This record gives sequence, C-alpha cells and structure tokens, in this order.
Amino acid sequence: MLEIRDLRVTYGNDVVLNGVDLDLADGETLAIIGESGTGKTTLGMSIMRLVEAKVQGSIRFNGEDLLFLPDTELQEIRWNRIAMLFQNVNNVLNPVHTVLNQVAEPMIEHKLRSKKEALVKAGELLTKFGLPPKRFSAYPHQLSGGEQQRVLLSMALANDPDLLILDEPLSSLDVTTREELGNLLGMINGHRAKLVITHDLDTASRLSEKLAVLYGGKIVETGLTQQVLRYPRHPYTRALIRAYPNMTTVKDLQGIKGRMMRPVSGCPFHPRCTQAIEKCSQEIPLLTQSQGRLVACHRGGIITLLSVVNLSKSFDSLKAVDSVSLHIEAGETLALVGQSGSGKTTLAKTIMGLYSPSDGMIYLEGKEVANKGRDFYKQVQMIFQNPGESLSHRLSVLELVMEPMEVQRIGTKEQRQKKAIQTIGEVELPQTEDFLNTYPHHLSGGELQRVAIARALVLNPDLLIADEPTAFLDASVGAKILKLLLNLQERRGLSMLYITHDIAAARKISDRIAVMLDGEIIEEGPSNEIVTAPKQAYTKRLLSSASALHLSCYS
Amino acid sequence: MHISLKKEIKQSHIGKAGLIILLLVIVIAVLAPLLTRYNPNQQSAASLLSPSYTHWLGTNQVGQDIWSQLLYGARTSLLVGFGVGILSLMLSILFGVSSALIGGLYDNIIMRIVDAFIVIPMIVVVILVAAYIRPDLFVLILLLAALSWQGGARVMRAQALSLKETGHVSASRTFGASLLYIAWRHIVPDLGPILLVEFIFGVRRAVFVEAGLAFLGIGDPMLVSWGMMMRDAMKFSYLNVWQWWLVPAGVALSLTIVGLTFVSHAAESVLDPRLRGEAVA
Repeated sequence: MLEIRDLRVTYGNDVVLNGVDLDLADGETLAIIGESGTGKTTLGMSIMRLVEAKVQGSIRFNGEDLLFLPDTELQEIRWNRIAMLFQNVNNVLNPVHTVLNQVAEPMIEHKLRSKKEALVKAGELLTKFGLPPKRFSAYPHQLSGGEQQRVLLSMALANDPDLLILDEPLSSLDVTTREELGNLLGMINGHRAKLVITHDLDTASRLSEKLAVLYGGKIVETGLTQQVLRYPRHPYTRALIRAYPNMTTVKDLQGIKGRMMRPVSGCPFHPRCTQAIEKCSQEIPLLTQSQGRLVACHRGGIITLLSVVNLSKSFDSLKAVDSVSLHIEAGETLALVGQSGSGKTTLAKTIMGLYSPSDGMIYLEGKEVANKGRDFYKQVQMIFQNPGESLSHRLSVLELVMEPMEVQRIGTKEQRQKKAIQTIGEVELPQTEDFLNTYPHHLSGGELQRVAIARALVLNPDLLIADEPTAFLDASVGAKILKLLLNLQERRGLSMLYITHDIAAARKISDRIAVMLDGEIIEEGPSNEIVTAPKQAYTKRLLSSASALHLSCYS
Repeated sequence: MHISLKKEIKQSHIGKAGLIILLLVIVIAVLAPLLTRYNPNQQSAASLLSPSYTHWLGTNQVGQDIWSQLLYGARTSLLVGFGVGILSLMLSILFGVSSALIGGLYDNIIMRIVDAFIVIPMIVVVILVAAYIRPDLFVLILLLAALSWQGGARVMRAQALSLKETGHVSASRTFGASLLYIAWRHIVPDLGPILLVEFIFGVRRAVFVEAGLAFLGIGDPMLVSWGMMMRDAMKFSYLNVWQWWLVPAGVALSLTIVGLTFVSHAAESVLDPRLRGEAVA
C-alpha cells in the first residue's frame, strides 16, 4: 500500500533522510524507532508532504506517487486516506472550538457527511477513545494531555483513513493512560495500515508487528518487532534497547558512546559503533538479509566474537566440562552461572588455554583457534578470581600493567608506560607517581581488582573473561567494579564472559545467561527470560536461593 | 612473602659470625700477595724450617713458605667453592625450572638422570674421574659442577611446580608469555631464598670435596691447596711440624666450612620459620 523508495530529504545542506526504503501493506503496523534527531518525524511529515525541504525519491501510496501529486489531489488524500497524529498535542487543537466540533470538522470539510451526521460520528469516536460525553463541549485548554490525545486520535480517524501515521502517540502520556490508549489503538486495525513513529520501545512493541530502526536518516535494521527486540542484530538497535528503562530487560541501563553527528561518511553509525572497521567509514552499507531480517551493516550485524563448540575437559575420570557449546557476540555479556564445582572456571581456563581441551573447538571471529599464540591473547583477556594472587608481588602497579605489552612486544618502553598510565586512569585509579610505584600488598582488594582489570584491558582486548571478579570484594566495592565493566562495555564494545555463582549479579550485567551444572550448560537464553521464566528446576532453585532482602511485605 | 634475606642473616648471631668468618677468608684470599713476600710455589729457604721472623710458619719439605701457602690456599678453596657454587646453581635452575615448566617426557628424562646421580655417591665418582683425567683448576670446577647440580635441580623443580600454579604465572600465560619469559620474570625471582641456600650448600660441598681430593693427592700437584698442605704435613708427622703445618691448614679449612654453614643456617631459617629461635620482630 505504501511504498517508499530512496527517500531523501534535505534542509539546506542538512541531509535528514538519506535514502529510506519502506514497505507497508494493508492492515500492517510498522513502527519506526530511533533517537530524536534521526529523522523519524521528517519521514512522517514527508509522507503527508508537509516538509518544507528538498524531497527526492518516491513515496507511492496505492500506486500514486505522492511527491508528484498536484496539491488539489493531495488535499483529497490528506485526512481522507492518510491521517496523521502529530507529536506536539498543544499546538494542534484550535483553542476556540469545542472538541466535538473539531473532531467533526474534517468530515464536514471533506464533505463526507452532513454536519449532523458528522457530529454524531464524532461523538461515537470520542466515546470509543474514552472521552466521556460531558467533556464533548469542552475547549482544548480545559482538557488534560491524555484527553487531548484522545481527541486528536478521534480526529485522525474521523475520515476513516487507510493509513494512519502516529507520531509519538503515547509518549507524553502517563503510564496508565498510555496502557489504555495503547489498547484502543491496537484495536483499530482492520484493513488500516499504521505507521507508528516513536522513540519509545514500549509503544513500538505494543502496537507494531514490524519494526524499522532509523539512524542518521537511514534504516539500519528492519524485521518483525518480536524478533528485532528479542535478538537485535544491528549494534544501534541493541544499544537502543540497552538504554531503554523497562520491566522486561534486567541488565543495568547502558548509554551509547558519543553523540549523533551529521553528516557522516559511510555508515551513519560508525563513529559510535564499537565494531566498526575501516570500510564502515568509507562506504554506506545496504540493507541486506541477515538471519531473517534486513540489516544495514558491513559486518552483517553484530558479529559473533567467540564460539565454542562441544568443548570438553576431563581430569582423569572427572569430566569437569562436558561438551559445552556457547557463543559470545561482540559487545555482549554472557553470564555463566552455576554453583562451585560446576566447571565454570575450568571452562574459562580451557578457553584461555591454561588447560588444554580434551575435545572440541574454539573459534575466534569465525576462525578456528588451534594454537593459542600471542595474537589470540591480544584479543582475549581474563580477570582472575583472586586479584591478590594474580598480581605478582614483585612488580609495581605500573610494571604490572605494562607486563602484557611487554609480553606482546608492543611499542617502546615510553609508549608502554604512557598507555599503561592511561589505562590505569580509565579504571578510575590515581595516576600519581606514588601510586604507580606501589606494590600490590599495599593496595586494597578493590584497588587490586582494578589493577587486574587495567592489566587485562591494556591490550585493548575484544573479549574479557571475568571469573568472579567481585568474589573477594564487599558489595559496595563490587558494585563499582561491575559498573566499571559495564561502562567499559559501553565505551569500547567489550564482550564479556562473566562467570559467577550469583544469578542476582548476573542479571544486572548480562545480556544472556547460561546456566551450568555438572560440566554441562543446561539452559541458556536472554537474561530476562532466564530470570523470569526458567525452564530447568535447577535454574529455579538458583533463582529462589539468590540474594534477596527477605522483607516481610513480600510474604 | 616479603622477608628480607639480608636482614634475616644480619639479625641472627650465627649468621653474623658466619659472614665475618667468610669475609675474613675472602680478604685473605684477595690480599694474599700483600700479606707475604714469598711465592708459595717457589723454594724460598731451606726445607722444613721451624717458624721464624722471616717464615712465620716455617717452610715445607721443599723449602716453600707455609704461611704463603696458607694464604694462597684460601684462593684455591674459594675459587673452586664459588665457581662450582655458581655453575651448579645455574645448572640446577636450568634443569629444575625447565623440567617443571615443560613437563611431560622431558621432565621424566631429566628427573631420571637426577635420580641416577643422586643414588651414586658423588665423592666416589669424583675420585675415579679425577684420578683418570688429573684435572686442573678449571676442569675441576666443571667436573664438580657437573656432579653437584642434581639435588638443587630437584628442589628448584618442586618449587617451580608450585609457583607455576600461582595466579600471576597463569595471568602471564594469558598475555601470551613464552616459557622463557615466565621462568625469567616470574619463577626465578620467586626462588630467591632457595637459590641462596642452594648456592651456599654448593660452595661448601665444593670446598670440602676439593680439599679432600687434594688430600688424597688427586688433582693438580702445582695447585696450592689446604688439602695438599695437610697431605704433605702428614708425611712428616714424626717431625713435630704438625703444629705450624698441619694445624693451620686444617683450621683454615674448618673455619671456612663453618663460616659457610653458619650463613646457610641463617638463610635456611628464612625459608623455614620453625628454625628461628625466638620470634624475630
């Protein structure tokens, strides 16, 4: 029904939409999501031909190109066949007319109904959208924001349009009104197609079957809403979900590094992307098929950094790790949860090459890792459970952090020193001469763990294996370490394999959780699903025995 | 982990005494030419003279000055002692640490060789070999070193095996460090006190064995040595020369060995706190 091809909108030199392709069929609801400034509203306005800008490309509505339609015909289409609910409620309603009259107005204007009929229809619509009849004769300023939104929705639907463009329909409403209106909007389907423009993932997931993610004037990912929100494939989509406070995801909020810039050569997201390669800054990626949806990314969406296939490790007759398969995506945290003795640490050490595997394969960025040489360790680093033990007592803080670079033979001594000091700052440790020359036994547990983290990060690894990094710390210090790791993930796109027995901590830091028992992974999935709907009895037990405050009001 | 070896030795009276004795012997050995006018290898007067103003300890059967021989004998003793000590320590580290780190077949082969050497009494082998090849000073050092590293290697291996499992060694491996780097940067520095004790053991044993060989008359007859002096003195025991010939050499040798024993005892207490007498602050 709606077919947008290569839509480009330019205000002066400012390219707001840069080649957008969209398809919308009868009865379908498509949500356009993205941060403010990505061009969402411009897209909606362009369809209504309400933008005062240079518009190129084509917008076909039932075969007719709206961009080349004469104004008179366009008038016929607006409101009658395409209606739009505008974002800013306050400016849209006319302050000198009652709401009933305003809802009836488009029908009268377009001569669809007699005035009397129109008023009746308007009343029906308003009732349908939950405005009590006694408020029909109110003036807009007498209504609350939620009531105004009900009026606007009635207005938009007055002429029974085929396409409804909803620009932030629920964003300014309180949550309960949002819920109610959302349900009402969900019901007005039929043959009508809806385009929901929003930055609010709740609205998008509530109303739409399909989702398109807009960034920097381009669609970066599009697919079925359920799938896209559950397993985002584009780094931007994932970042957007991570930044959105909601009741579904359990991981702590994370922002997106940097800020949106325009214009950008190549992929619009590459300055903020943590997996960008050189090509990303040169060529604009096209939307291509990737795992059941379209993703515009030169790397085919979020890459799989490490995958482990049927890895086993036995010590004599004991199978510590029994045919474990798992994968970790770039910029993702996988929490490996299980009680002590379940083989978590053995698995980590086997991946790290501290134990040689009895069986199975390890792939790094799709390439098999046969002999772990210096190259492997440049990409994969580990933080050990006991920081005091993992730091040599003979080396000063600076020497400790420099050691990995020394081993890897990176740079000159001065360069190593500079990099080490910079990394020490990055983990929020003092960079003073005194501190750099301190020996580990003079540091507190939290400081030791930070030094260990700095040492693991100094090589700029892509994957960090963190084995109970907070086990030896008290909660407040541990919390700071977890925050630090999350921040590093946000800034550097660090992937993490986070090993813990504590599912309460795991859900705060991980995107996915794998539950390990007796050397096997018995359950694996998005953290929120594992936490709220565990399938295995053991997972349920882990959850019920996890730390809680045991307040009497819950019992 | 931070026990200062220097402090530990200085704080123990035995250690201090040992150090003083050792220093004395070292000073004598170094300053030998300044303390005597005679070359110990040349005839300087009539043979078998009693002590006099010119020859403090008299002369031996070929008219060499015994005082000079005593001084220069310290040189031989210490040279052999420290030479063997250092060499055998290096071999111990090399074989012990590499065995621990490499493991597998290599470890097995090295350790079986070590076992074999430990079973055979070293002194017998040394006597046999030395009797055949008549070693000069340098070859003697090599020979003794080659026969005395095995015990040390076993100790180093045991220690390295436990150090190998420590966190900072694992960490270093996860930076991609080679075995050589790990050995040099993480294992050997942590062997510290053991190295010292093993070293002093080695020195003491070598001093003793060298004296023994010379006493038995095996070895370089041109080398002035306390063992050789005692052997010569014994031949003239009927002449009452033992007072200024046999006794000084014997005392010098004993003192040196006692000094080394004292130092090693003090150093050992660093490794094993149970050996410490009173609590050391």
